[in-house]
Amino acid sequence: MSVNSLREYLDLLDTAGWLRTFDRPVSWDLEASAATMLANIRDGPIPVFASIAGIETESKLVGDPYRGPQTRPWDHFAQALGLQDGLSGRTYYDRVIDRLNAPKSPRTVASHRAPCKETVRTGNEVDLLSFPWPYIHEGDGGRYSNHHTIVAPDPDTEWGTWSSHRMMIHDDSRASLLLLAGEQVPNRYYYDYEPRGEPMPVAVVIGSEPTVESTADMWIPTGRSEAAFAGGLKDAPVDLVQCETNDLYVPATAELVLEGHVRPNDRLDEGPFGDYFGYMNGPRRSMPVFEVDAITHRHQPRIPFCVEGSGVGYGQNSTSTLRLVAAGPDATVGLRAAGFDVAMAVPWQFTSRTVWVIATDRPYPGYLHELANFIFTTWGMLHIDFFVFVDAAVDPLDPRAVLTAIALEADPDADFHQFGVERMPKVPLNIYQTPDEKGSADVGTSKAKTAKAYIDATTDGDATDTAATTETRKRAQERLVEAGLDAARFARLDEREEKSQ
Amino acid sequence: MIPFGQYVRGLAGDDDLVRLDGPFEVPVDVLAAEALRASGPALRFQRPTGIDLVSGVFSGPDQTQHREARPWSRLSLGLGRDPNATLVDLLETIGDLGPAGENPEPTYTGQAASGTDTDVQDLQFPQGETETWPAVTLGVASVSPADGTHWAPVHGSVVGGETLRVRVPDALSSLVADGTTMAIALGVPPAAMTTAYLLAVTEQTATPIQSCGVTGTVPLVPTNGGLVPSATEIVMETTVVDRQPDFRSDRREGWEHVVASGPLSLSVESVRTTDSPVIPISPVGCPLADDIQLTGLATAATLYHRLNNYWGISPVEWVMLPAEAELGICFVASDILYGGFEWQLANILFSFSSLFDTVVIVDKDVPPQDFGRVLADVWLKSHPARDWTFSEPDAPAATRPHYRRDNETGSRLYVNAAWDPRWKETYIAPRVTFENSFPSSVRDVARVLWDEPGTAPGETSENESPR
Repeated sequence: MSVNSLREYLDLLDTAGWLRTFDRPVSWDLEASAATMLANIRDGPIPVFASIAGIETESKLVGDPYRGPQTRPWDHFAQALGLQDGLSGRTYYDRVIDRLNAPKSPRTVASHRAPCKETVRTGNEVDLLSFPWPYIHEGDGGRYSNHHTIVAPDPDTEWGTWSSHRMMIHDDSRASLLLLAGEQVPNRYYYDYEPRGEPMPVAVVIGSEPTVESTADMWIPTGRSEAAFAGGLKDAPVDLVQCETNDLYVPATAELVLEGHVRPNDRLDEGPFGDYFGYMNGPRRSMPVFEVDAITHRHQPRIPFCVEGSGVGYGQNSTSTLRLVAAGPDATVGLRAAGFDVAMAVPWQFTSRTVWVIATDRPYPGYLHELANFIFTTWGMLHIDFFVFVDAAVDPLDPRAVLTAIALEADPDADFHQFGVERMPKVPLNIYQTPDEKGSADVGTSKAKTAKAYIDATTDGDATDTAATTETRKRAQERLVEAGLDAARFARLDEREEKSQ
Repeated sequence: MIPFGQYVRGLAGDDDLVRLDGPFEVPVDVLAAEALRASGPALRFQRPTGIDLVSGVFSGPDQTQHREARPWSRLSLGLGRDPNATLVDLLETIGDLGPAGENPEPTYTGQAASGTDTDVQDLQFPQGETETWPAVTLGVASVSPADGTHWAPVHGSVVGGETLRVRVPDALSSLVADGTTMAIALGVPPAAMTTAYLLAVTEQTATPIQSCGVTGTVPLVPTNGGLVPSATEIVMETTVVDRQPDFRSDRREGWEHVVASGPLSLSVESVRTTDSPVIPISPVGCPLADDIQLTGLATAATLYHRLNNYWGISPVEWVMLPAEAELGICFVASDILYGGFEWQLANILFSFSSLFDTVVIVDKDVPPQDFGRVLADVWLKSHPARDWTFSEPDAPAATRPHYRRDNETGSRLYVNAAWDPRWKETYIAPRVTFENSFPSSVRDVARVLWDEPGTAPGETSENESPR
């Protein structure tokens, strides 16, 4: 059975020895973030900072709660979903794909039954700065909330649309939201509410249950509800409750909810910030203003944050893990629904928002072009620059196998395809454009356009397979485990390979 | 110089070798391959005959799986360096084994392999699940024409009671005729094994070892075939009986992707062994196999030396042909001296090696043991259009990749994942790291938090391997 809240998930981690609560005071001013980054680098327990130095607060900070173990990043989230222990990565994907194929509509609960309403503050009681928002990296433009779900109106669904955009705190009632045109919520603001001069109601949901948190990076088709996919993933409906000051519904077990609106024709400074590329990026830009109308929360709210930038290279953090464990299976489902016969779509674990690996057959000439074109014009448009296509038999969760495929199968003469050279939009978070090229376009994209590319690393003929049979390999692995080798290293022979034999 | 047997014991002493006791119901090459895929330790297959096999001794952990992985650490130990030696230290050590400016003075000692009551069948070379014959891998062939002794890597099969069919570099084949005696040495000191690979990949097999640095470090002993390291585990004295046998092997040792090779049929005249010989094996054709690692390191040593002697200065920090990319991509970290230098650098590499069609250039501050950062920077720092540069489509295909095996020409590619030297300093985005993102006082607080008893997230520093 899946967990229902962040707290239940943290309890699971605690039971498994993967949680460490610090009772001594730790400052929100870089200290909590530094301790979290150290844990991320060392593949250590998830830190909970129970006492925040220099501020009177009952809130607790939680550093990168969804980061998974380095060699098996899906393990913690599989626990949250109630899946069996020890699944191989590919089997985990299969289980999650099955759940995403069976969405479950949310159910609403009354306010008095919603934990997130244990405390309600409105009007003059709104005091954003009473919470210990972390200052995450030296050089950031300010203190941030960056591990949350933003709920915004959507005329096509009853439950609104969910996404994630980092938020820089300015004062007791205002923050700036990084809204980059091209994504659904920003588009709603820039091309619908703002031109009409209307504020866009928004709720920022902090510390929601795992399946809700994981939907922020998912690609949900227009007209479908993230809430239903979160329910599918959970294998049970997600409880929603109506906001106090607008018509939006928010997850009822969330730790903290900021209700408010994004003001039209108003901007505040935002950034720089050390974001998912692993590099500080700027410059400081002007971004839309989120004005808080109400704050509701649980007693002793747990406020998760992500040390962005530590999830590149070998490192994992919450967002890089969630992309691997949730956005990957979701994209696989989406591509199959669009008619593409893909085996798996997986973010490249060393930079999970820039490159994706897709294992697929090539049923007809031009198939990869159509697939790339479809992706680059939908969910891969702004952030993802590269796709690598490998044979369906290659495990995209095994970077060595992917690297080998690129090296041996991708012919520079025929298999590297640049899309729309210098014609495609790009978020200004990248580090390969100069500040002049990024400019300060009003809607958040770079002034200069860029290109995208895909690499065909599939075999041109029959793949050369010098490996022994699956049965022999399994016997060999068993023998090696008996001799003392780590069993966790042998997760690559899974149900898919057995079926293919 | 470290004898092979001592090297194997050293790996065991470092807990980097696991012993498996026979009998082996699973083919040992499969066991060896699975251990490599899992970034496992080297394996020693103990057999009742007292003639053991060892695998993985020249390989190492998968760099895509491990922070700060050093797949060259075992070979570093074997060459008498610290296992934690830098890649560059190892590359320079390898380079010193090759042709030297002055002929070093060789040392001659007695032959360790003095037992003579063994024949080829007694050695019980491993036979793959789908192989017809037992396989001989990681051998060194030695012949002595008039100008001195020549070494080359050799692999092949035991096809009869006293017959081997092997493949050697064409340069070695050209030095022998039917009836020539050739020594096949197995379990040679790592320095000798590395030298054979180095000479092969640099196409200098025709250079006598008396002119190589290895002679100054590895004591030698004469045999009927030629000089071999005196501390060799097994020496097979053979005679060339056929220079053009009908012998094809689907599997190639790594060096065969670099130089042309051909078959020889050998008659084994005698087999000499140490008291408890140990035979190295490589699961040829499998990921991360020892022969691939050796080829990658020997080639990288050559490229590193040539690059840093090319422009009159030494801008290159390191060169790597990772086994994870099966030698099909060359990664290089360098100071980008001026705009366009990256083009020169990539194309010099294409001139110096025909293994790869793709070169990736990263900044000089990227450490080679942080391959995860390399695998991020490739995509993050390179503009998808401007920094992926393709040549005119009239270049010959590289030897390692699988495409264009029909001699068609095509493009080469270099990816520039280094900062543009023409950029202003303020354009360069600082990295998010523990050191860069927090002042020292905050770093100290974080360390103290985790160093409290019962809180440590792993047992190592932030720059070392996680648990």
